[in-house]
Amino acid sequence: MGLTISEKILARHAGKSLVKAGEVVVAEIDFAMVTDTRAANTIKMIGKLGDKMLPFAKNTALVLDHYSPPPNLEAAEIHSSMRAFSKARATKLYDIGDGICHQVLPEGGHLTCGDLVVGTDTHSVTYGAFNALGTGIEGTDVSAVMMSSKLWFRVPETVRIELQGPLQPGVWAKDITLAMLGKFGAEGLNYHAIEYVGSAVSAMDIDDRMTLCNHAAELGAKAAILEPDEKTYAWLRAHGAKVPLPTFADADATYAQRFLIDTSSLAPQVARKHEVDDIVSVVDIDHQPIQFALIGTCTNGRLDDIRQAAAILKGQKLASGVRMIVTPASRQIYLAALREGLIEILTEAGASFESAGCGTCVGITNHLVPGDGDTVISTANRNFKGRLSNKNADIWLGSAATVAASALTGFITDPRTVMGGTWRCAA
Amino acid sequence: MKTDHLLVAEGMSFLLGDDVNTDINCSNKYMPGKDIDYVAAHAFENIAPGLANDIASAAGGILVAGHHFGINSSREQAVHVMRTMNVRAIVARSFGRQFFRNAINNGLALFECDTSLITSRQFLSIDFSAGTLMLNNQLLHSVSPLPEEILAILSVGGLIPFLQKYPDWNFE
Repeated sequence: MGLTISEKILARHAGKSLVKAGEVVVAEIDFAMVTDTRAANTIKMIGKLGDKMLPFAKNTALVLDHYSPPPNLEAAEIHSSMRAFSKARATKLYDIGDGICHQVLPEGGHLTCGDLVVGTDTHSVTYGAFNALGTGIEGTDVSAVMMSSKLWFRVPETVRIELQGPLQPGVWAKDITLAMLGKFGAEGLNYHAIEYVGSAVSAMDIDDRMTLCNHAAELGAKAAILEPDEKTYAWLRAHGAKVPLPTFADADATYAQRFLIDTSSLAPQVARKHEVDDIVSVVDIDHQPIQFALIGTCTNGRLDDIRQAAAILKGQKLASGVRMIVTPASRQIYLAALREGLIEILTEAGASFESAGCGTCVGITNHLVPGDGDTVISTANRNFKGRLSNKNADIWLGSAATVAASALTGFITDPRTVMGGTWRCAA
Repeated sequence: MKTDHLLVAEGMSFLLGDDVNTDINCSNKYMPGKDIDYVAAHAFENIAPGLANDIASAAGGILVAGHHFGINSSREQAVHVMRTMNVRAIVARSFGRQFFRNAINNGLALFECDTSLITSRQFLSIDFSAGTLMLNNQLLHSVSPLPEEILAILSVGGLIPFLQKYPDWNFE
């Protein structure tokens, strides 16, 4: 009987030759991550376990990203306790401004193809872009991993989604993920692992592949995982990852469902206010004004996203009454954008940059609260009412190109209709 | 592997709807600084006013919900809050993935089935090892029981007591 990628990774880490969907296995973990939102709970759970040795601490990273920089004393104290814990237990530590967990883990060379990686954040599915099984867990789980290097998993059923046909210029992985949310609905693939394959995936660079896997969290997926290729290996090598163990599905693997989706004619997509699965093609939106444009988060705060925005806003000014904030996903991305002149282009256009971290995603840093009646267009992954600390503001979601085109015109705009909107990174 | 854990829950049903977000309704994510007793006294009040008090008056109960109970980035604290509220088990059409883990890890048993025939304040009796749910002493649903490993974790009250007892993950 053939296995899917997720089944193979779980079987290998559980010391078995075969696993079946639905079965529970205890698997060896390769790397673990704890963010500042769950650190207090994690440290409490480790305390409950007793003053045990934590042999896995050296393979665990603590990441101070959500409250970055800390908005209040409570957050600052969580950060202090994380620094102290990291020092005492010799974990890795990424401090404020270093970046978002899902960006700093791959950049730090902490994972590779075939790995099993866990993190205290639902968007840990991002690591699937590197052919690793990444999944979100909580404090009790992490304490178990740090003590025993292992964790229990229910083997997920896998859904195979073939994305056929290269994307049109101006259309990005974000538009595919939004289309998937429209098709399956939020939590529509709850418990499942997704394997994305096809020519659209092969054509994507690593930044876009990370977006594709990242956004599967909103589908409720336990994992979203890609086959590796030369682009994957080159990226991992460049970031000092250990030797990859490329993992492919067997030809006779069992899937819960298979889908074939033509992406060659896909238009840019947006999620309308409040619901991540209220998806509409940008061409069908009739003059929707915006006041706040946000580029950032673990979904779309990468270099290609900032390049998309710069291609559109170079030599231009934001529309009257529009504010724009860009939060690079990591310090490395911030520096790369600086060296490429992107920060100058966007700052001259009227945008502001904030330190690398989760700030643009959710109103827990409270440094970019929209006003009453404001409409926000954001590259984030969630748009629930009140997510940016104001229930009287609406949040729409789109690609970085769509956000930048909208910031330029002042209303939600198809990036393909503005100059620079069909920019694409030279392969 | 064999387990002979007897895992049962009995109590009155208390209804919630679809897509219950436990971060919003049952944690201090949006009530910073509030302790677990405060959150437990106010849990679910926006979607089911009086629920916490009703469960307390009944000396505990079983939550019954629709699809995706505990969606999104489900905080573990929600399970601690529900245990404080004396929630003995949760029956739902489906659970958010992270919530499912959190419940098992913290010793709160879950039963996944169609809940459309259950109304408020009915007597439920669940045998998790057998995968059966009785409504007013009549069999309503028989499903595949939870895997043995999950029953083993539940039977000792969660993952931390389990690992204190079996640090090598020895399920036998």
